[in-house]
Amino acid sequence: MKNKFFEKYFVFTPYFWLVLFFFIPLAIIFKISISVSEWGMPPYQDIFLFDNGFKINTTFENYIYIFSDFYYIGSFINSLILALTSTFFCLLIGFPLAFYIATSNIRLRNILLVLVVIPFWSSFLLRVYAWKIILQNNGILNVILINLGITSEPLQLLYNQYAVIMGIVYTYLPLMILPLYGYLNKFNLNLIEASKDLGLNRFRTFFKVIFPLSIPGIIAGSLLVFIPVVGEFIIPEMLGGSDRLYYGKILWEEFFVNRNWPGASALAFTGIIILVLPIIIFQIIYSRWSEKNEI
Amino acid sequence: MDKNFLVIENISKSFGENKVLENINLNISKSEFFGLLGSSGSGKTTLLRILGGFEKPDTGRVILDGVDITNLEPFNRPLNYMFQSYALFPHLNVFNNLAFGIKENFTSKEIEIKVKDIAELLSIKDLLNRKTKQLSGGEQQRVALGRCLIKKPKLLLLDEPLAALDKKLRSKTQLELTALQKKLQITFVFVTHDQEEAMSLSDRMAIMKNGLILECSTPEEIYENPKSLYTANFIGIANIIEIYQKDKNYYSDDLDINFYLSRDLKNTKTNILLRPEKIKIQSINNSKIYPFNSFSGEVLEKSYLGSFTRYEIKINNKIISVLDQNFNSNSNYNFPIGEKVMCSWEKESIKILED
Repeated sequence: MKNKFFEKYFVFTPYFWLVLFFFIPLAIIFKISISVSEWGMPPYQDIFLFDNGFKINTTFENYIYIFSDFYYIGSFINSLILALTSTFFCLLIGFPLAFYIATSNIRLRNILLVLVVIPFWSSFLLRVYAWKIILQNNGILNVILINLGITSEPLQLLYNQYAVIMGIVYTYLPLMILPLYGYLNKFNLNLIEASKDLGLNRFRTFFKVIFPLSIPGIIAGSLLVFIPVVGEFIIPEMLGGSDRLYYGKILWEEFFVNRNWPGASALAFTGIIILVLPIIIFQIIYSRWSEKNEI
Repeated sequence: MDKNFLVIENISKSFGENKVLENINLNISKSEFFGLLGSSGSGKTTLLRILGGFEKPDTGRVILDGVDITNLEPFNRPLNYMFQSYALFPHLNVFNNLAFGIKENFTSKEIEIKVKDIAELLSIKDLLNRKTKQLSGGEQQRVALGRCLIKKPKLLLLDEPLAALDKKLRSKTQLELTALQKKLQITFVFVTHDQEEAMSLSDRMAIMKNGLILECSTPEEIYENPKSLYTANFIGIANIIEIYQKDKNYYSDDLDINFYLSRDLKNTKTNILLRPEKIKIQSINNSKIYPFNSFSGEVLEKSYLGSFTRYEIKINNKIISVLDQNFNSNSNYNFPIGEKVMCSWEKESIKILED
C-alpha cells in the first residue's frame, strides 16, 4: 500500500518543490509589498488587524511609489540593458566554443568540458575579486599595457559598466555553453556536409542550417544567462562604479539600508512580473511554433 | 564515350598511424555506374568522401572532366553526394529540401518548376509539403536523391544508397536506380558492403580491401574469373580447393581425387575455385564414376531455396557446396540428407587462382 501511494504521488515531487521554494516565498513577498510600512521589527504592519473587529490593512502605496520615481524604473532598465548585452556577448563567445566542443573528438571534448566547468570549483566571490586585481590601476593588465608602451598612464579599467559586462560574461559563460553544447552534441554533422555539397559556403551553411537547428539551445542558454543577470548584485557591486545603478543594488539598498521592506518587496514583485510574463508568453508561442515546425 | 571522365590518381590517405588508402588509381567513364565494394574498414567510404571533398588526400589527384578538383571545397565541386543517413534538413519540408541547392541561382518561379520536375521524375509529387520526419525510408531516399539530381551534377556519389531500406524495397529501388541512371546518363559512383547490390547495380566495380583495390572489372568477370582468393571468397559462394601436380596429373589431398584442367599450371601448387552452381549432382546409382573432375560424397545438409536447392556435400573432411537448379517439380530430384551422391563438373568450370 505504501509503495502504491508513493508511486501515485511521486510525480508531484517537483510541484511540491516549486510550491515550497517558489510560490510560498513569492506569496510572502507579495504580502509584504502590499503592507503598510512602519518603524519597528518587522518594519511593516500586518495586513489583517483584529484589535477593533476584523480589518484588512493593505495599500498599493509602495507600487505607486516605485513607479512614480524614475530612480527605480531607470535602474531596472539599466539592468535589462546589461542583461541583454551580456547575453549577446555570452552567445557570441559561447556558440563557437560549444560548437567546437561538440564537434571535436571524444577525448578532447571531455577535456574541454572539464575546462568549462572548472571555474565553478572555486568561489564565485574569489573569481570576481581576482578580476578586480587584474583590472585595478596598478593591476597586471595596466602594468602590461604601460610596459608595451600602449599607454603612459594607467587606464581606468575598473568601476565602470564595461568592467561589469566583462565580469558577467566571464561568470555566466558556462551557463551559455553547457545547454548549447547539449543541443549541438546531437547535431548530425552530415547536415553541414550536405549543405556544403549542395553549394552553400561556410557562412551560408551557418545561417541556413546550423543556426536554425540550434535555436532551442540558443534560447535555453540565453534564458539561463539573461534571467539571473537582471537581478545580479555582486558583480556590479564589486566591479561597477557609480556611473550606473542596477536593479539588484537598489533592491539591496531598499531592504537593508533603508529598511523599506514593503517598498523593496513591491520592487522585487514588479521585477518578477515584468521579467516572467513575457518569458511565459514567449515560451507558449515558441512551443506552438516549434511543434508546428517540428524542430 | 570518355573513358577518363573521372580519374583517380595515386590517392593515399592516413588518419594518424592508420593507413586508410594506399595509392589508389581508377579511371571511370562518363555515364558509368561504378561500384566500390568492400567490407568495413576497406577504405571505400574514405575514397568516396575524398571525391566529395570532405577529406583531403595526403597524395594524389582527382580529375573530373579534365579539371583537377583535388583542392576544391565541396561547395565548388560540380558533383553531389548522397549520404547514407540521407541527411535531410529536419527544419525544412520536402519542397525546401529539394530546392536547397538551387535557391541562390534561380528565381522562385524557376525553382518551383525545377522542383516539380524532379518530384515528378521520382514520383514524390504528393510529398512536397511534408516534413522529412513524416517520410518513410524509401521516400527519404528519393528526396535525398532528388536534392542532388536537381543540381544536374556531372557526378553523383552515393554512400550505401540502399542500406537503410528493407529487403523488398531494396530490390525494387535497385531496379529504379539503374533505370534512372541510364535515363539521366549521369556518372554514378557508389559504395556498398553488399555484394549482391554491387553486382546488380554496377556496370563495373572495384573490390577494396585494407585500402587497396584488389580487382576492378565488370561483375560477370569478377564473379566468373576472380584473380585473387580474397575476391573469389568475397563474391558469391566459393569452393576453394588446393591442388598440386602429381606425376602428370593434378591432385587434391582434401578430396582425394584427380583434376583435369583446361590449361597447365605455372606453379606446382595452387588454389582453384569451383562455383557451386557449376557442379552437377546426381544419384550415385545411375551414373558412372569418372577418373577426373568428379567425386562421390554424402549429403550433409540441404536447404531448399525455391528455384535452387543448396547442398553441403561431405567428402573426406572437406565440405563442398552445390547449388542444384530445381528443373522438375518432382521431388525425386531432391536428395535426402545422408544419401550418397555423385558430383561432377566440366574442366572449363574450374577457375585457377594463381596470384
